[in-house]
Amino acid sequence: MNEPANKAATSAALRSFEASWRARPADGLAAMRGEAMQRFLALGLPTPRDESWRYTNLRAMAAMSFIDAPRIANGAVTAAPGESWIAGAGMSAIRILNGYPQLGAGADSGLAHVAVRSLRAVAESEPKVIAERHTAAAESEEGRWTLLNRALFVDGLHLRITGRVAGPILIVHAANCPDGSHAVHSRLIVETGPGAAATIIEHHLGAGGGTLLANRATEIDLAPGASIEHYRVFSGDERTTQFDSVDVRHGADSRCRQFTVVLGGALVRTDLRAHLGGIGAQHDSYALLAGRGARQIDCVNTIVHAAPRTTSNQTARAIGAGSSRVVFNSKVIVERGAAGAQSQQSSRGLLLSPNAELDTRPQLQIHEDDVKCAHGATTGRLDPDMLFYLLSRGIERSAAQSLLIYAFLDDVLTGIASMPTRRAIEDALVEELPDADLLRSFR
Amino acid sequence: MNLNTGKQVLTISNLCATVAGKDILKGVDLEIRAGEVHAIMGPNGSGKSTLAQVLAGREDYEVTAGSVSFDGVDMLALRPEERARAGFFLGFQYPVEIPGVNNAYLLKAALNAKRKAANLPEVDAYEFLALIKAKMKFMQMDESFLSRGVNEGFSGGEKKRNEILQMLILEPKLAVLDETDSGLDIDALKVVAAGVNSLRGGEHAIILITHYQRLLDYIEPDRVHVFAGGRIQKSGDKSLALELEDRGYDWVRGDRVA
Ligand SMILES: Nc1ncnc2c1ncn2[C@@H]1O[C@H](COP(=O)(O)OP(=O)(O)OP(=O)(O)O)[C@@H](O)[C@H]1O
Ligand SMILES: [Mg+2]
Repeated sequence: MNEPANKAATSAALRSFEASWRARPADGLAAMRGEAMQRFLALGLPTPRDESWRYTNLRAMAAMSFIDAPRIANGAVTAAPGESWIAGAGMSAIRILNGYPQLGAGADSGLAHVAVRSLRAVAESEPKVIAERHTAAAESEEGRWTLLNRALFVDGLHLRITGRVAGPILIVHAANCPDGSHAVHSRLIVETGPGAAATIIEHHLGAGGGTLLANRATEIDLAPGASIEHYRVFSGDERTTQFDSVDVRHGADSRCRQFTVVLGGALVRTDLRAHLGGIGAQHDSYALLAGRGARQIDCVNTIVHAAPRTTSNQTARAIGAGSSRVVFNSKVIVERGAAGAQSQQSSRGLLLSPNAELDTRPQLQIHEDDVKCAHGATTGRLDPDMLFYLLSRGIERSAAQSLLIYAFLDDVLTGIASMPTRRAIEDALVEELPDADLLRSFR
Repeated sequence: MNLNTGKQVLTISNLCATVAGKDILKGVDLEIRAGEVHAIMGPNGSGKSTLAQVLAGREDYEVTAGSVSFDGVDMLALRPEERARAGFFLGFQYPVEIPGVNNAYLLKAALNAKRKAANLPEVDAYEFLALIKAKMKFMQMDESFLSRGVNEGFSGGEKKRNEILQMLILEPKLAVLDETDSGLDIDALKVVAAGVNSLRGGEHAIILITHYQRLLDYIEPDRVHVFAGGRIQKSGDKSLALELEDRGYDWVRGDRVA
């Protein structure tokens, strides 16, 4: 049994998180959990007064009580909803159901150069591997959900990548909860050896039955010369709240291409923190944020250049239909000593409905003279001249609109190096747009 | 004298249009038969492009009076995409760049839209490729243009060639080419003229909006119209173009015909 936190929980949600925390075992991680829980409770739920939560109001969530999503036995896989539409030939898929990975006996992925373990197994045998990790997220106030994840995660995955992995590793985050409000706090830790290379795709599906709060954290450590292409794709039902945090720590000359693709969910908050701490490291991030219906998407990137000759590029494309609200908030920090750093941000928004709202906020904090930083942010509607040109060639109006929306997203889509993944995302995207038939032939 | 007895393709009667509350077209009358090429010349700002855009169905312009009959149907009642599928083509004075929309894709989608409206099956992929390659060769365009975005990064002359390429693929009943000759070097002008001439005759009719007699050396018009003050002020045969080149527009404006 854990000691009670010294700050009283002030909302139903906080009280329910605290209750979940009390139920965690008093194992080698208890101290870490306790510290994280206390800090989380001290911070409380974010309010619009918090700098990075200005646009996302969690008042409704605060009144809800969440219980842990149940563990479903391995044999009951068939009961899980929603197969991943990304799954394809040449991919190795691992399913995480309600936060618990469904690994085969022996925990051998069958993949060369990858060791896959459940985080629970790691926690039991080597709790220090987890307890001693420090992530930038947990140290910053914006990272409060990462703190909660630290306090409450029960399981997740640990990947150790030691060489060049052939096909993409697909991690499917599925949930299968009965009615009611459930929470899943799962965690993914990726460690790489020097020169390792892999593509990791995390596909977040919706919950099916009840209301789900998915609070997930991914940490990627890049050894010198390592190269990772990471995707997180959100799709599925409109009853899921996703808080998803990705932390990437860069060694020298390492490279990460990170894609955040939001095509589903009710409220999706994504955090990306890239720490370029090794000389010559490069981080390229891409965001494709499709706001539709009443969806809220809040995408927050923080890129820190902490070593010389580091490079970052950010490309974000947001569309707002229905009464959706999409925020893209990116901050680039160049620390003193990061000479020769280069940073570029391009964020564009396309407003498709008068009731939708798009906000983009590029920010730069530069503490070094020898840097090259550029950023551009625009938001507009469909170009009437382009639309008329297509109409004048006989294209149906709805198809013309979809074509232009699709074209608007081109810079992100063409950045996707994994062709089967790109196809799958394009197909899913097309379903979200009018005139899917015509668009399907458009590549 | 014009002895053409082709079918009437376009009949414009007393067409009046405004934009942003301003009268631009003030009673345009024009008739064109199948097989004819008409040239429209006139001073800057007189409303030539406005006429072209109104015919294409641009919503920014409000038609306040008059009628347009295209191939026997009330053209003003059709949406822009329906006009295109019915066989109307506008070659834009300033073709817009559409990054991310593939040029070949647009051509195919446009052709299929037209075929669908005529209850024809979609064009076979192989046949389409053969067709497009032949037309591009004719227009002396490199095939690399196919894989680029629509007009994306095209030079002024390349955009105009691309308009003619689209026209050749779509084979419209009526093409209005709005200053397609502007900004072309002499070789490109010949290529564009050859493109237009290849469509000439049969059931196709063409309206050339131009400022230069030079184009008319390569495409001989059946009729020349002087457009000024929002309407056609004077019409004649090709010698009228030469006269305009000599005398400018002032004499026409002073000499209004009813
Ligand atoms: N959207 C608009 N808003 C206001 N005025 C407009 C608009 N479009 C056209 N006009 C005006 O209508 C008039 C006719 O323009 P139009 O482009 O038709 O001329 P034009 O004869 O094609 O000229 P040019 O030879 O220079 O191409 C001009 O005075 C122009 O400024
Ligand atoms: Mg004009």
